[in-house]
Amino acid sequence: MKPAILCLSLALAITSPLLGGPQDDIYTLGPDSQPRADVPQGKVTQMPPWENSKIFPGTTRDWWIYVPAQYDASKPTAVMVFCDGAGFVKPDGSFRAPTVFDNLIHSGEMPVTIGIFIQPGSFPNADAKSKAKPRSNRSFEYDSLSDLYARFLLEEILPAVSKDYNLTTDPDMRAICGNSSGGICAFTVAWERPDEFRKVVSHIGSFTNIRGGHVYPALVRKAEKKPLRVFLQDGSNDLDNQFGNWPLANQDMAASLKYAGYDYKFILGQGTHNPKHGGSMFPDTLRWLWRSEK
Amino acid sequence: MNRFIAAFIALYSVSASAQDTNLHEYLIEGESWKPAATGFDFTDGLCCDEAGNLFFTDVKSGEGIYKIDVESGKTSLALKDLPGISGLQIGPDGRFYACQNKMQRVIAITPEGEVEELLAGIKCNDLVVTKAGCVYVTETPTKQIHLITPEKKHIIADEGSVNRPNGITVSPDERTLIVSDHGGKHVWAWQIADDGTLSAAAPFMTMWLPVGKEEAQGDGATTEKAGRFFVTTALGVQIFDQAGRLSGIIAKPVADGKVVSAEFAGKNHDLLFVAAGDTIYSRKLKVSGYFGQ
Repeated sequence: MKPAILCLSLALAITSPLLGGPQDDIYTLGPDSQPRADVPQGKVTQMPPWENSKIFPGTTRDWWIYVPAQYDASKPTAVMVFCDGAGFVKPDGSFRAPTVFDNLIHSGEMPVTIGIFIQPGSFPNADAKSKAKPRSNRSFEYDSLSDLYARFLLEEILPAVSKDYNLTTDPDMRAICGNSSGGICAFTVAWERPDEFRKVVSHIGSFTNIRGGHVYPALVRKAEKKPLRVFLQDGSNDLDNQFGNWPLANQDMAASLKYAGYDYKFILGQGTHNPKHGGSMFPDTLRWLWRSEK
Repeated sequence: MNRFIAAFIALYSVSASAQDTNLHEYLIEGESWKPAATGFDFTDGLCCDEAGNLFFTDVKSGEGIYKIDVESGKTSLALKDLPGISGLQIGPDGRFYACQNKMQRVIAITPEGEVEELLAGIKCNDLVVTKAGCVYVTETPTKQIHLITPEKKHIIADEGSVNRPNGITVSPDERTLIVSDHGGKHVWAWQIADDGTLSAAAPFMTMWLPVGKEEAQGDGATTEKAGRFFVTTALGVQIFDQAGRLSGIIAKPVADGKVVSAEFAGKNHDLLFVAAGDTIYSRKLKVSGYFGQ
């Protein structure tokens, strides 16, 4: 084995959203994604690695919590979970979610919301000196059509955060967001547990056949409508590979959500499999997601 | 509507992306299956040595371990008086490790034919040996995965996770063990600890099922050098990338036949051999195997 090649191919498979093309260059961050002197800043805390998952045994993962400056422990607080959280919480990343939260909470355009940013699990090498990359559990956790990830949040992460913070149990005030496989994961969590999560944001979502996710458009059309609010973004230059065609799959999802009468929004840009477009419109996405009118 | 048309135009201008690990990355156009050895009853137990020779057995009526010579391509009986072997691999000590299903035992055999019994009273099916010298054995009817440590200690490493545990292999870093389910649709994965024990059982990979069936008939499995897993199934050889995603299915040599064992051999370990009933077939790929290299 050549570990370097293995690492590179894994990195490409998992982090390819970071490798943008010229089609993504038109998407830049606006003023709502920049810190403002007159806006109080929330606090981001990196939590100790989550190592004793019962839902995903043997995995470890990094995670962070954002608590807004306006947080009031006497009030049940809205929650937004981010798959592949490291990219969303990063101060110089494509989304800068804590800064956008600061600005929109301050302007009253979204509720006081605690952000939970979670990385996918990986299996650490038993030999600490090993240079081999730990096996990633990301695809298993995110691409599988099952209630496992919803249960991971409901049985493990939310109870842990609730020990220190007053989190709402109102499903309308719980959102989940992700990119690519994290996007379909966000949808799956709400689809499996609409009694617990009702707000979904998917950027460049993998509604393709990585692990059967291509069936969602058909399911959405035939299943009794669920009380979800779904935001979808994709780019016309997104992936076309052995798993499927991302722009077609997202258009199919959007058409099905429309057909079944969902509260949804679909934005098709020109980007590749890249977070820039989703990041550039993220403040507006949050405004739409958290708006109070139906 | 214009947006949809624009999307269509854009789609056809997109070339293969970095995420592609599809068939084009390992199949060679015009290089299909060729018979490599024939005239057997039920071939199985494919394994290779460093030079690229392929070894196999005939579970039903074989006399021992057969060899397809890497240079001449000729088939010969390499070791006789070893009937009923269903799983075979060469260990780090140069010995063959074998599931002698017929005698219900796991054995090690020197190149000269000297046999050591490692575990008896086991309806063993297939095995893999790590560089550390751990032998993992599937016992299909009892739903057990057995571990024989380098100190010859026997441990039941897993029981009950897999409905009919069958094919077995390891990742190139030998930290992940995988086992195919003959009676289900998953290929399972475990973490391998320093002492060889297993943890974190999970249905990490999902095999494509034949239409109308609930069982993929997962059978023999091997590992490509870059870490993909090749698993023989009712539909053909299913390939999973390092993330556990099904990335392609290589068709069977005979459309209505079976493939039950797979291994890379040949001088550059880039010939994929499969056991398909009375015949062993091979085809050249763009990628090479992990074992023996």
